[in-house]
Amino acid sequence: MAIESPNLEPKGIQGLGKAIKRKEDSRFIVGKGNYLDDINLPGMMHMALVHSPYAHAKINGIDSSEALKVPGVKAVITSKELAGAGLAWVPTLAGDKQMVLADGKVLYQWQEVAAVFADTRQAAADGAAAVQVDYEPLQAVVDPYKATDADAPVLREDIKDKMEGAHGPRRHNNHIWTWDVGSKDETDQALASSEIRVKQHMVYPRSHPAPLEPCGCIGDMSKATGRLTVYMTSQAPHAIRTVLSLVTGIPENNIRVISPDIGGGFGNKVPVYPGYVCAIVGSIVLGVPVKWVETRTENLTTTGFARDFHMDIEIGATKEGKVTAMKVYTLADHGAFDAAADPSKYPAGLFSICTGSYDFPKAYAEVDAVYTNKAPGGVAYRCSFRVTEASYLIERSMDVLAHELKMDPAELRIKNFIQPAQFPYPSALGWTYDSGDYEKTLKVALDKLGYEELRKEQAEKRAKGELMGIGISTFTEIVGAGPSKDFDILGLKMFDGAEIRVHPSGSAIVRAGTRHQGQGHETTWAQIVSEELGLDVDKIIVEEGDTDTAPYGLGTYASRSTPVAGGAMALGARRIREKAKKIAAHLLEVGEADVEWADKKFSVKGVPGKSVTMSQVAFAAYTNLPQGMEPGLETTYYYDPPNLTFPNGAYVCVVDVDKGTGEVKVRRFVAIDDCGTIINPMIVEGQVHGGLTEGFAMAFMQEIAFDAEGNNLSSNFTDYLLPTSLETPKWETGHTVTPSPHHPIGAKGVGESPTVGSPAAFVNAVVDALAHLGVRHLDMPVTREKVWKVLRGAGIDAF
Amino acid sequence: MKLNYTGQEKVTADPQKVWSFILDPNKVASCLPDTQDIVIKDDRNFDAVVGVAVGPVRGKFKFAIQLVPDQANNKMAVKLRGGGLGTAIDLTASANINGQPDQTTLLDWQGEANVSGPAATVGGRVLDAQAQKLISSVFENMGKKISEGA
Repeated sequence: MAIESPNLEPKGIQGLGKAIKRKEDSRFIVGKGNYLDDINLPGMMHMALVHSPYAHAKINGIDSSEALKVPGVKAVITSKELAGAGLAWVPTLAGDKQMVLADGKVLYQWQEVAAVFADTRQAAADGAAAVQVDYEPLQAVVDPYKATDADAPVLREDIKDKMEGAHGPRRHNNHIWTWDVGSKDETDQALASSEIRVKQHMVYPRSHPAPLEPCGCIGDMSKATGRLTVYMTSQAPHAIRTVLSLVTGIPENNIRVISPDIGGGFGNKVPVYPGYVCAIVGSIVLGVPVKWVETRTENLTTTGFARDFHMDIEIGATKEGKVTAMKVYTLADHGAFDAAADPSKYPAGLFSICTGSYDFPKAYAEVDAVYTNKAPGGVAYRCSFRVTEASYLIERSMDVLAHELKMDPAELRIKNFIQPAQFPYPSALGWTYDSGDYEKTLKVALDKLGYEELRKEQAEKRAKGELMGIGISTFTEIVGAGPSKDFDILGLKMFDGAEIRVHPSGSAIVRAGTRHQGQGHETTWAQIVSEELGLDVDKIIVEEGDTDTAPYGLGTYASRSTPVAGGAMALGARRIREKAKKIAAHLLEVGEADVEWADKKFSVKGVPGKSVTMSQVAFAAYTNLPQGMEPGLETTYYYDPPNLTFPNGAYVCVVDVDKGTGEVKVRRFVAIDDCGTIINPMIVEGQVHGGLTEGFAMAFMQEIAFDAEGNNLSSNFTDYLLPTSLETPKWETGHTVTPSPHHPIGAKGVGESPTVGSPAAFVNAVVDALAHLGVRHLDMPVTREKVWKVLRGAGIDAF
Repeated sequence: MKLNYTGQEKVTADPQKVWSFILDPNKVASCLPDTQDIVIKDDRNFDAVVGVAVGPVRGKFKFAIQLVPDQANNKMAVKLRGGGLGTAIDLTASANINGQPDQTTLLDWQGEANVSGPAATVGGRVLDAQAQKLISSVFENMGKKISEGA
């Protein structure tokens, strides 16, 4: 009996703009997610790491004898054993190298010193506690401004006196690189002739992505097949596979990286960490799978931190408030190794977006990076590379300028916005902005808020001695890295791949080189394909994270999934549609030129009712092909974007400050985002809620702090605070839509906009509440104590 | 994390008795709180295993302790180095031994500690108070035992 075409009418084409529920959530809600620590393999051993109590110390010896007496402990490795395998040091993503286990000295507190392998996780931890390390403490460099003092101790003795680094010359043993962009002379001249000049120093403190699931890895080297399978909490499994092959010498076809469900990444799960390398080496040596899962403290103290940018800005303007020039100097504290995860050509990431949404005729930015005795990192915590630092800098600075000019901060912004007619807009620091209508977006936000009324209320309250502030942030991001002519990491071009296979019965499997960690790809990729192919969204399954099956791609971080993989998804689907059109012509018994794709089906032009669906075409692709056509309906598309995308938004925050306690209450927060075409409004709203909450945490609660000896004072969730529903304000969201002209579906990406844009709105609101007391700036986190000190310093009566 | 403390202990014994007590490592060791093991190495050095609790950091810490007397200047120092559970502690406690006209002795003491690792990070918020309590109790115990003629 021949197979007959089933009922193929699409029931649920849910394409762009549909707020459908997330397909992946059903398994998470019932506790059936498959996270790294859910995976247990036969014969698996466990690994624990020994950490340094000192931020800077020489290691005179490591004694593992007591650890090996702990029941269940099978082996202990140190840098010496790794050196035998050529893995004592590994390359970082930023062109530096880093110790896997401490090699002769430790360079930050909690640095990994030895790895202990045991039958159980408990035995491994007991073994790690029993390893005796003889340290000789050395002077620690904690303050980045003192790192390059003449008498500062040399931290990286491995590169002592090697004054040519991966990104140009080094001027001190603790200096990593200097990077600059723009015309210094022209900027200096423009500033010199400006009527108004304002300067401000500000720090974006060291923060940490703190994903609820910490990092982990299972190395599984099969001695029978010679094949290494690595389960890893990685946002970029394909790049990891290539790096593993290059550093271990194992052919890439013999390495399979599986990134299972991930409980949040936020950039923290992009780099390669010592624990990963040790678990893999352990498996190779011991011949059994080895699992390593971090503790919370290990995650906060050793894995990729974010920010730690110490910034000085000067802005020039006319008396009427038209900006003339911007000059920025930044000192970047990179910790012990340069392990930032930035594209090769951009050691300070995309910090040069610091001109923001404004038409600066001249600009110059310079960044110096230095080594200190702190954990390495500099990852893009829920932002495109260093864009949060840049956005905070310009949006805080625009308020400083407004304050100086005694001008309303909204009016100053409107006066300086890049105008819609100026797009594509070439910025003074070299970017070509794709699209935007900044004034429209701000006005939507101000209207929703009732800005004028609130300003009146503020004036009345101030007259009564009450403190209320309004903060604005009209940010522009730069995301979607990126075009291959400029963007690579370790030489790997930053394209992304999508594979679409349409089955005979009209369902499909879609695979991508990205790896979601909560972004909702299993739904949004299906929606793009549903839109482009007219297939039922419930009949499209999305898979990511297995390098054996998914097409190559650089992964999910820096808001690049929708701009890059989303483009691959749409263009891949369109390529399938081209072939489908030929099959449709065959089924409709007309020439291809007479077939058109309209209303999610193929129709004969001018003959209403004569049409076939994509499902019918798919069936024919396996059962009834035109003569000579290759069977099947599938493709793999690699998308190399022609430009980056520039999502933007207008955020306005209203705060009330308790003059007795210094407590800041966020009364209202209106967030209007323009991320271009919206794929799923509900997922976008969820992303915005999450990002605003993280921005709120950075503004008011979080800092990875150190004492003078380099002890990490933020090593757990009682010291490094995460906001709960009790602290988190209510968010009021909305959108304007200015599609990206170069993206296949006009989308720009949104996941990171709220984290990037919101910190300045919060801080601007608090400073606005205190401005009449002479406050021009407060560094984050704006704690109650900080505000309380300002109030008491200003002689404000608590009652 | 650097910590500094000072205090004073009045001992109802003359300086000679004080000196004979504090030059005996067995007697000094007996003043440490919650000791679980003491190994006297010589008349100036001993090792001690002590139960320590700083916030969530709780367990056995092992210390090498050295007595550094300076009788000519009426000064005594005790140097302690060691740690446990990944924490490292370097502590010097010194005292001026001042004989009083009424045949008693005043111990003017000061302690300087450098703490690294989990006790400084995870236990940072309670460390200051805990360390002060620990050092104070050592001198209190010492004063009490000498006064009682131990």
